[in-house]
Amino acid sequence: MDEGTNYTAFSSRGLLDIVGDLNDKALEASRMKDFISVLGGRFLNWAQRKSLFPLHLGIKCCALEMAAAGASRFDAERFGVVFRSSPRQCDVLLVNGPISKKFADPIVRLWEQMPEPKWCIAMGECAISGGPYFQSYNILEGVDTVIPVDVYIPGCPPRPEALIDGFSKLREKIIRIGAVPSGESEARGAPIIVADD
Amino acid sequence: MAKELSADQIQSAAEALVGSVAEKFTGSATAEVRHHTGGRRKNAYVYIDVEAAAWRDLATWLAKSHKVDHCSMITGIHWPEKADATWQVVAHLMRTGVRNPGVVSGRVHEIKVDIDALVGVDVPLEFEISMTLAETREPSVPSVADIWVGADWNEKETWDLVGIEFEGHVGMRRVLLPHDSPTGYHPLQKQHKLRYHDFNEMYDDAQGFGRKPEDVGRVK
Amino acid sequence: MAEMWISMGPQHPMTHGLWTLKVKVDGETVVDTEPDLGYIHRGVEKICEARDFTQITTYCDRLCYASANTWSHAWIYAAEDLLEVEVPERAEYIRMVAVELQRIASHLMWLGAYCPDVGNLTGMVWCLREREMMMDLLQELGGSRMHYNFPRVGGVKRDLPIGFAMRCRAKLKLFLDRIQEYEAILDESTIFLVRTQGVGYAKAEEMINHGVTGPNTRAAGHDYDVRWAHPYSIYDELDWSPAVERPSIKGSDCYDRYRVRVEEMRQSALMVLEGLDKMPGGSETHHESGDPAILGKAPARAAEGKTGFHHFEDSRGESMFYIAGGGEARGKHPYRVSIRSPMFITIPYAAKCMIGYKIADIPAIMGSFDPCIGETDR
Repeated sequence: MDEGTNYTAFSSRGLLDIVGDLNDKALEASRMKDFISVLGGRFLNWAQRKSLFPLHLGIKCCALEMAAAGASRFDAERFGVVFRSSPRQCDVLLVNGPISKKFADPIVRLWEQMPEPKWCIAMGECAISGGPYFQSYNILEGVDTVIPVDVYIPGCPPRPEALIDGFSKLREKIIRIGAVPSGESEARGAPIIVADD
Repeated sequence: MAKELSADQIQSAAEALVGSVAEKFTGSATAEVRHHTGGRRKNAYVYIDVEAAAWRDLATWLAKSHKVDHCSMITGIHWPEKADATWQVVAHLMRTGVRNPGVVSGRVHEIKVDIDALVGVDVPLEFEISMTLAETREPSVPSVADIWVGADWNEKETWDLVGIEFEGHVGMRRVLLPHDSPTGYHPLQKQHKLRYHDFNEMYDDAQGFGRKPEDVGRVK
Repeated sequence: MAEMWISMGPQHPMTHGLWTLKVKVDGETVVDTEPDLGYIHRGVEKICEARDFTQITTYCDRLCYASANTWSHAWIYAAEDLLEVEVPERAEYIRMVAVELQRIASHLMWLGAYCPDVGNLTGMVWCLREREMMMDLLQELGGSRMHYNFPRVGGVKRDLPIGFAMRCRAKLKLFLDRIQEYEAILDESTIFLVRTQGVGYAKAEEMINHGVTGPNTRAAGHDYDVRWAHPYSIYDELDWSPAVERPSIKGSDCYDRYRVRVEEMRQSALMVLEGLDKMPGGSETHHESGDPAILGKAPARAAEGKTGFHHFEDSRGESMFYIAGGGEARGKHPYRVSIRSPMFITIPYAAKCMIGYKIADIPAIMGSFDPCIGETDR
C-alpha cells in the first residue's frame, strides 16, 4: 500500500491493480505462473498460426493466384486462411504485386494499422525485388524496402500450391518465434524463402 | 452475309477520304493511303501528316463530316536527335459507325450491321495522324478533348509521361505518376534513363554467342 | 444533408484492382466521382525501349493479367506490322484458339468477381472452378497457369500438344453446359436482377465518343467488333457473329453488360470448337517448335523509320499497340511503344455513369464495366 494514496474512494482501476498484484504473487509463490504462461502461450500460438487472416489486398497478377488459392480447387480456407477486408482484423499482409511510389505510403499505413502480432508475406517476384520491373522509374525494388518481410514466395506468379506452402512455412516460423513484435527483426530471425531447400 | 469487311471496301473508303483531305487542307495536311504490312491482311488505313496548328480544324472536320467517332490513342514521342521534329504527337482515330439503336413502336431493336452494304462514310476505317513540333522547351498542341471525350485521359497521360501540353484541355493533372511528382518530370523523355540502364549492355549476350556473320559492325 | 467525399481505395474489396474511387455523396446518392489511378504504374512503355520484341511479349502478358493472351497477341500483331512478317495459317488458327480460350477465362474471372459484388458468393466459386478448367487448357498450350508468353513474331512458340484437341473439346462441351448453370442462378435471382437492371444506364453513341468499346458498347445495341471491322486473323473462316444485346430506351444497364459477356463466352467456346475442326493440318498433328508450319521467318530488326500499329479486340474493348521503330542505331529495341488500354478510358466513363445512383450501386456499376487495373496503369 502506497503512503498517502486514497483508497477510500472506490476505483476499479485500483481494485484491478490490487487483485492483479495479489494474483501474480500467489501464482509465483505456488509455481503455477510458469505453468500457466507456457500453456497459455502455446495455446495462443496454436490459435494464431491456425487462423492466419490475410488482408484482402490484390495488387497485380499474383492476386489472381491468391484468389485461385481461395477458390474451390485449392481452398485455402481449410487451413484457416480467411481473407478480411479491414487491416484491423488481419494477421498477415500478403503483398502480391509491385509497390509503386504512389502505393508505398498506403501500404506502410496498412501495415501500421494491423495490430500485433502480424507477419508479412511477399508473394511473387515484383514484391520480392521489383521483378520484371526492377528497372522501372516508379517501382520499389521489393516491398522489403518499406516493410519487414517474413516469408518470400518466388514465382511469376507462384502457383496457388506455392502460396499454400508459404503459409505452411509461416506457420512453422510462428512456432519458432511466437508473437515477437514485427519491429525486432533479429528476434524474428531470417526470412524464409519458399522452395529454397 | 460476309463475315468481315473486305479489303476493297476499306481501300475505297480510305481513298475517298484521302481525296477529300487533299481538297480541304491543301498546305497544312498531307494524306495518303497506307497499308498494314504484317499478317494475313494488308488492310488500308489513312495516314495524315498535319501541322499542329491545323490539328483542331482537321479533327473537327473528320468528326463532323466523316463520322470519325472514336479517338483510340494519343501518343507523344520525344526525338531528341531530330532538331526540327523533336516532339511528335500521333493520334490514332477510328471510324466505328457505332450509333444508338433505333426505337420502333416503343421497342428498341439492336443493330446487327449488314457488312456487305457498308459503303462510303459508313465503312469502319483506321486513321493515323501525326504532327511534329520543332525543338522547344514547351511543346504544345491543341487539345481535341471536347471533340472526342475519349481523348481527355489520353492527353492527360501524354502530358504526364512525355510532357507535351495540350492547349484548351480542362483539368490537366498527373494521372499515372504520383500527384506530388516534381514539376517538369516526364519520364518518357529520352534524357531520363532507366534504373540499371547499362544492364543490357553489360549482360545482353556479353560473349557474343548470338551474333551472326552479318552482325559485324552492328552495335546491337 | 451535407455532402462529403468518400475515398474507396486503394485497398478495397470491391474495386477489382488497386485504384481509388473518390465519391461525393449527398446522403446515399452519388453526386460526383473522381477516379485516381496509377498505383501500379510500372512504366512498361519505358522499359520496352530496352527490350527486344520477344522479351516485350512477357511484359504484355502482365499488362492485363486476367486476360494475358489477348494482350501478348495484340503486341505480336503490332510487331509483325512493324517487321513486315508473314504468319502461316496454322499459326493463326492456334493463336485464335489461345485468344478465345483466354477470352473465356477473362470473362469467367469477371463473373467470378462480379457475383460477390452483387452478393452471390456461389457464383464466385463456380466461375473460378470453370476458370481452373480453362487455365488447365491454357497451361497445356502455353506452359504456365498465367502469363504464357505464347506468340512469337511470325507464329507461335509451340504447336498444340498431343491430345490437346480431345481434352479441349471435352472441357468446352462441359463448359457449355455449365454456362446454363450460371444463367440458372443469376437470371432467375430476384436479388441479382434488382441490383443490375435499371442501374448504370449508358448509351452507345456517348460511349463511343468517350472511347468505350468492346462488350460495353455491344451491350448498348450496336455490334461493332474489331474482329470484323478491322479484320486481322482467320475470323472470317469461322461461323460467328458478335454478341449484342437489346438495351432499353434509356440505354444499356448492368444486366445487359452481364448478358453480353455470357454470350461472348458461349461464342468463344463455339469458335474454339470450330477452329479445332478446321485447323490446317488437323488438330491432332504436332509440329516441333520452330517448324515453318507454325513459325514464319521474322527479322530481328525493324527498317529505318518504320512504324507499326494494330487494333485488337481485347476482352475489355479495343486495344492498340503503336510501335515506332528506331532503325539501325537502336537495333532490336523499339524506339517507342505506346499501349492503348481500353480500361484506362472506360474507368473514368464508368465513374461518370455512377452519378445519380446510390452508394450500394457503385460495385454493381463499376464491376459491370469489367475493370482491370493492370492494363490501366501500365
